[in-house]
Amino acid sequence: MSSIREFSKREKPEDYYLRLVEELKKLNNSLNAFSVINEGLSSGMPFSVKDNICVEGIETTASSKVLKGYIPPFSATAVERMLASGFGFLGKTNMDEFGFGTFGLNSEKEARNPFDEKYVAGGSSSGAAIATSILRYHIAIAESTGGSIAAPAAFCGVVGFTPTYGVVSRYGLIDYANSLDKIGIVARSAEDIEETLEIIKGRDRYDTTCTGRALGREPRKRIFIIKELMEGVDESIKSHFTGFAERLKGMGYAVEERSVSGMEKAIAAYYVIAMAEASTNLAKYTGYKYGLKNEKYSEHYNEFFTNAREHFGIEAKRRIILGTFIRSASVRDRYYYKALRLRAELLARMEPLLEEGFVLAPVMPIKVPKIDEAKGLSPLEMYKADMLTIPPNLAGLPHVSFPYAYIGGMPLGAQLMTSHFNDYSILGVVKEWERVFTYRFRYNIGSL
Amino acid sequence: MKIGLEVHVALPTKSKLFCRCSADASEEPNTAICPICMGFPGSKPMLNREAVRMALSIARALGCKTPSNISFLRKIYFYPDLPKSFQITQLEEAVGREGLVEYKERGVRIRRVQIEEDPAKIVRGDEYTLLDFNRSGVPLVEIVTEPDISGEDDLRDFMTELRSILYYLGVDIERELKVDLNISLAEQRVEVKNITGIKNIADAAHYEIERQEGLIREHRAIAAETRSYNEEKMSTVQSREKESNEEYGFIYEPDLATYDVSDIVPEDPVYATRIADSYAKGFHANAQQIREAILFNRDTLRLIDASKDSNEMRIVMNGIAILQRHKALDIEEGEFLRLLELLRNGTEIDAGIIRRLRLGEEININMRANLDELDDEIRKTIENEGALIEEYKSNKKVFNFLVGKIAKKYKASPRYVSERLRLILEGEEKGHRAL
Ligand SMILES: [Zn+2]
Repeated sequence: MSSIREFSKREKPEDYYLRLVEELKKLNNSLNAFSVINEGLSSGMPFSVKDNICVEGIETTASSKVLKGYIPPFSATAVERMLASGFGFLGKTNMDEFGFGTFGLNSEKEARNPFDEKYVAGGSSSGAAIATSILRYHIAIAESTGGSIAAPAAFCGVVGFTPTYGVVSRYGLIDYANSLDKIGIVARSAEDIEETLEIIKGRDRYDTTCTGRALGREPRKRIFIIKELMEGVDESIKSHFTGFAERLKGMGYAVEERSVSGMEKAIAAYYVIAMAEASTNLAKYTGYKYGLKNEKYSEHYNEFFTNAREHFGIEAKRRIILGTFIRSASVRDRYYYKALRLRAELLARMEPLLEEGFVLAPVMPIKVPKIDEAKGLSPLEMYKADMLTIPPNLAGLPHVSFPYAYIGGMPLGAQLMTSHFNDYSILGVVKEWERVFTYRFRYNIGSL
Repeated sequence: MKIGLEVHVALPTKSKLFCRCSADASEEPNTAICPICMGFPGSKPMLNREAVRMALSIARALGCKTPSNISFLRKIYFYPDLPKSFQITQLEEAVGREGLVEYKERGVRIRRVQIEEDPAKIVRGDEYTLLDFNRSGVPLVEIVTEPDISGEDDLRDFMTELRSILYYLGVDIERELKVDLNISLAEQRVEVKNITGIKNIADAAHYEIERQEGLIREHRAIAAETRSYNEEKMSTVQSREKESNEEYGFIYEPDLATYDVSDIVPEDPVYATRIADSYAKGFHANAQQIREAILFNRDTLRLIDASKDSNEMRIVMNGIAILQRHKALDIEEGEFLRLLELLRNGTEIDAGIIRRLRLGEEININMRANLDELDDEIRKTIENEGALIEEYKSNKKVFNFLVGKIAKKYKASPRYVSERLRLILEGEEKGHRAL
């Protein structure tokens, strides 16, 4: 039984929500999962919302100083649908500023791994994954652009689902890169994800790209491991991953290695598109309409805007500068248009493969790093950590990240991807996996 | 001389281009706004289908090729009137490309017709700047011509033709219009930006042509530059801010993806100039007079259309002129045809008659009787009533009795009969036939 149904059936003590909030606040002080906790929660299965998704009347900053004090006058479509289905809003979850990060460290309060606080939680939906790992009954509404759901889900040992691009309305999502952004779900089981997806998916006229196409459940008997994706994977992970593949064979899947050329170009294409779009999305933060207000109205608008934009974090500034360069007329063909072509080519190469079977890969090429290690990485090393999550994200393919092993007490995550709009099928595989493999959790706040 | 135009017109849609706010910018400042047209974080554009339909109609009317899919671009620049710091506009996959506007046996090629959003309105004071976001997101169409306009007269003719075509698609550019003008007399292209209103276009062009002619006469170089038009001084001045397409950092607008317009049915265009010319030819009437009547007036075109079989364009134009005087051009076609009958019968049309026509009242004139027949009848009556006639001068009642008798017998208007009767009696006295 899904925890959603279980929760609705179980008798709750009168002070259930009070105690839940108290315990959560205490633990949050050390893990930094939430930026806002709704102390008034008094009914419904708790759900959290990544801080780049608007909730009416609740400060929504996408972890950015430039948005401090922004209280949206409307809720995201996904949030409205959750509330309408009886879920209770528990709070806003921490993230890397505007989604720019793989480790959850580009935030005023760095996110920490619930298995061991010395380790990163992963990003950018760091809080969503931590919250799921520490709360017994809870659903996280998160968002992925290039791996922001799969990565923290893998590091925190929970299930992270990113639907086909356009399945869940992005209305109310603070844009990072609109052609790549997907609202998705983090939960403790594939069943919970499937039930939540039923609620939040579907046509929304406030998001033109959200078409409401029906989702398939076409099973595949074959699972492909792409050789080129495995090349950059850390040796310490490979043997565990091979062991996992063997177990899948035992479950009746034919696991085969396949070669897909051009995979190595995915990271570059992704960052070019993501930065080009991000630099235009961040242009609106000029300090006079919402968020942090620059009150010096006597200045010339150029100075006024410049001063307001000083409050972006370093990674945001880097992406604004690179993105603006990529868009400039002299190099637009060489970078922006080329990246768009590469995206189409990558999808064209993967599509035939995905018609035959699922694609399986580790989520991250490395073990969960310590916070200090991650801080020492150069931007380029950081971008490289996304090499496995970028292909499905760049191509808008549905993918699910789930724990398959533990090393030294820390979880390892694998991801399964399938063709566009065949979203339910991969959740089916994870459901099968969950029957033979038990996920571990260090905390179970709100147990009944 | 080469002149090219970029014409920006507001589309008269009820709501804005990307949200449901009223597009009526005359509302109380900053009341017709929402998270979308204010560019609030989290909002996304929703494309207004009616705006797309109007833009497609314009593109089609200007002879453009119209694609089955359109897409939008972000044009990024920082200015306080632009809430998102980018404007959603079009370039390559615009609603229309490669069109042609024909008039007076010549043509101006249209490079592109594109949809874009209007920025907010800036109100400047000495010590402050105010922003009204009611205008932010109002749908605009930009029409870009090739530099095919050959001079001031040609510019005027082109604008008249364009204005008429747009008028018949429901877009009145006399209300609001912004134009960028490219003028090159020599090699270098000069752009005059932000000219508002039809009259100022001609004035700006006139000034700029004279300025460039002066430079050429003096063998001085014409700089390739952007200038702006000063309405009060009726002159152009060099702009402080340099702009070029290179600096806008265009990317696709990913929130709108590509938009299928193949099932949108555009409105049929009306080319009033061509219609006027064909009527003028067909009825041997004055083309200029017909053109003036119908270029920017769908009522007159409707009335002319309704009466085109009447074969008497002179009476039709007379009827239109009368209605224009009485501000009654919105009369129904059937009533207009009755009006033409009255005119043919020589009835003097006054406000009362027009009112009765529009109320659908019977007007007592024998529609079938023609002027001469009625006059003959009046004469017959005069002969038969010889004795009474003698008295008509001294006794008003006798005159009225005769009028009533004739009017009743011939179902004619008493007013008309009394006029004819008086004229005939007076003429008879003087020994010759009146009129
Ligand atoms: Zn609006």
